[in-house]
Amino acid sequence: MLTFLAKRTATLVAAVLLSSYAVFLIPYVTPGDPVRKIIRSRVAGDVVDDSTVKALGESLGLQDPLPVQYLRWLGDFFTGDMGLSHVSRTPVADQVIPALGITLSLVIVALGTAVVVSLPLGITAALRQGGRTDKLITTITQSFIAMPEYWLAPLLVLVFALKLSLLPSAGWSTPASMVLPAATLALRPISFFTSAVRAGVIDALEADHIPAARARGLSRTQTILHHVVPNGLVPLSTLFAVWFAGLLGGSVIVEVIFAIPGMGRLLYDAVINSDIPLAQGGVVVVVGLAVAITTLADFLHRILSPKVGGTLA
Amino acid sequence: MPELVIEDLSVGGPGRTVLSGVSLTVRPGEFVALVGGSGSGKTMTARSVLQLLPPALSVQHGTVRLGTLEITTASETELNSVRGGRLGMLFQQPKKMFNPNRTIRKHLLEPLKLHGGLRGRVAEAKVLELLAEVGFENPDWGARAYPHQLSGGMAQRAMTAMALAGQPEILLADEPTSALDKVLEQQILELLDRERTQRGLGILYITHNLASVAAFADRVLVMQDGKIVESGTTESVLRNPRTGYTRELLEASNLAPSGTLDTAAGQSDVLTLANVCKQFGTGRRRGRPALDDVSLTLKRGEILGVLGQSGSGKSTLARAIVGLETISSGTMARKLSPGAGEAPTAVQMVFQEPHDSFDPRMTLRASLEAPLRRWLDPSERSRRLREAMEDVELDPALLDRRPADCSGGQLQRVTIARALLMEPEVLICDEATSALDALTQRTILDLLQRLNRKRGLSLMVITHDMDVVRHMCQRVAVLFQGRLVELTDTHRFFADPRHPHSQDLVSAAIPCRGLHLKRMRAASA
Repeated sequence: MLTFLAKRTATLVAAVLLSSYAVFLIPYVTPGDPVRKIIRSRVAGDVVDDSTVKALGESLGLQDPLPVQYLRWLGDFFTGDMGLSHVSRTPVADQVIPALGITLSLVIVALGTAVVVSLPLGITAALRQGGRTDKLITTITQSFIAMPEYWLAPLLVLVFALKLSLLPSAGWSTPASMVLPAATLALRPISFFTSAVRAGVIDALEADHIPAARARGLSRTQTILHHVVPNGLVPLSTLFAVWFAGLLGGSVIVEVIFAIPGMGRLLYDAVINSDIPLAQGGVVVVVGLAVAITTLADFLHRILSPKVGGTLA
Repeated sequence: MPELVIEDLSVGGPGRTVLSGVSLTVRPGEFVALVGGSGSGKTMTARSVLQLLPPALSVQHGTVRLGTLEITTASETELNSVRGGRLGMLFQQPKKMFNPNRTIRKHLLEPLKLHGGLRGRVAEAKVLELLAEVGFENPDWGARAYPHQLSGGMAQRAMTAMALAGQPEILLADEPTSALDKVLEQQILELLDRERTQRGLGILYITHNLASVAAFADRVLVMQDGKIVESGTTESVLRNPRTGYTRELLEASNLAPSGTLDTAAGQSDVLTLANVCKQFGTGRRRGRPALDDVSLTLKRGEILGVLGQSGSGKSTLARAIVGLETISSGTMARKLSPGAGEAPTAVQMVFQEPHDSFDPRMTLRASLEAPLRRWLDPSERSRRLREAMEDVELDPALLDRRPADCSGGQLQRVTIARALLMEPEVLICDEATSALDALTQRTILDLLQRLNRKRGLSLMVITHDMDVVRHMCQRVAVLFQGRLVELTDTHRFFADPRHPHSQDLVSAAIPCRGLHLKRMRAASA
């Protein structure tokens, strides 16, 4: 387990370094003069003449070899100095951190809802495998896969905001404004989670140790509570982490439709406006968080199923 | 203590009958054996006693009584208190019968709480006490272990501890030792027998292994097609079997030396291994070598038995010889007949679990044809397939089935047919009959022997079953912790085993002929 821990942490660091290096190179591989682009993210005032550019470039160390510049950039980044946004002329960190907070709360609410909904659905479907209830649950949740966010979101707005006037149609001011975007985001995870829970529980039900548990005197309910459901839910932990990581940057459609100032929206704006420092800051934060979450999920999986994790005892 | 009485029990489902008119009694302190081939209804008898039949089956007629309790009409609540309480059960393949995500301790706490009302420290102390009682040398470790960390024998001991936790009056033991080797089998059965004499536990021992029946059971019931066809004291049934089926079972369990053991086999070597080592893992995870300086030869046309307990390196050896595993050091040389040259296919392997040796989605024909596609046209391929099926005495029509539609015995023949298609000179059988019942095992062993004689095929038979070795092997190699500790002629091995481990193996192997009956042992003791 310890070696696994060390190995995983090493891969995590390597992944973050590799992706951040790619991000660091953005000003060099996009069209235009990289020195001017970098200066613009470092200096508040406007710079026009070449001699000032040269002087500033030298004082910023832009003549140094790329790896040296990268390390300096990374050091600044992790001490909270992500540079200035090309568009708003304010520090990138001041935009990225609130946006991250908003997206995190949106994703947590959406995925939390998805888990709360899909657990009972998946377990019920599995316990009534092949029956009418199972078919109903499976058909309905599977149909969610075919409902893209750009179709579902306007539909929900049309019904709940415009027709019924129950919920705000956009913005991020009250808890009520979270309902429609979270519902939109939750729908597809619900369908994946439900089928994962259903499959996991069915596998657990058919395991050889279930009749053995009944033969020890456990009632059917006790067997299901202690031996079927906990074992059946193990695969969900991995799936949850994959979705969590994916939605951090992948909630862009929902954020744009509902005008939510989250990470997706921020990256979208940064790309549209060629705001390189903003895009750099956003991408590195999202990638770092995503890698950390999947690594955590791997640890969790090893703790939940000791056979995979080797000797914990 | 009450007795378990089954009267005129019939169990079935739509369109099929599994048990018809089964009657039997297990009294306190009695060791009753229920024997029969696979599919004879033994397991279903045990399952109906616990009222844990598969959903498609139900009791159609008859009663099961434990003392005064009518089990067949008892409520679910009454049944829950009887299961694991007054009625304990042991299963085949003990490792699969534990929840892989829970420690042994947690498993044991369940029956202690349900049937003894024990919790907290008292229960924890009882867990350790039970584990010590069933022979865990380190109960603390056993309690903290997860099921996958236990060996098969340890898992069956833990399962026994779990059954004993409920203080059972009757123990249903469904093939508890069939997946274990002879030494472990002996130990587990002795453990059960001790509980019988000390506490007056009644035991219903379900098995297809008559040798162990002879050694432990008071009475024997023989089951065929869901009916009890013969019953009586162990001595009378085993000495004077009245039905042909019992004689067949007895014959199958009784693998006497078959007379082909004259070493007329060729003197030339077909396979030579010198100083072969295999090391798994690197760095700190480097464990004991799986194979440690193993040197042996396989002579042309001989049957060499390779004996060893699980973990002794038998399977690694087999996999290394066919090339499924690289070796860390040492040499392996094949001296094939001139025609075969250096053909990689000249050494073939038959695996233990026939159902796992085929792609479940492919028909057998598709599986068997696959390796022939490169150099044979369709008509030649189907001719070869037909011949191979005839060699293993199977109907070629079977080829169009999928693995799930065949029995284990049929499939194991198909595995052999598949190996024969490659025209091998050496066939490695890795526990090829361990997963099969005694009757089927016998027919497969006969087939292998015939192929050995007819084709001059050299066989390496890897097994933990001493009877198989005695029955058909000219020479025996014993592996112990990755090292070759003995290599000698079979008769010399059984007469005078040299290595201490070999001596353990030989003394645990109870030959059925000669009938080491329990009563006789008691008399001579």
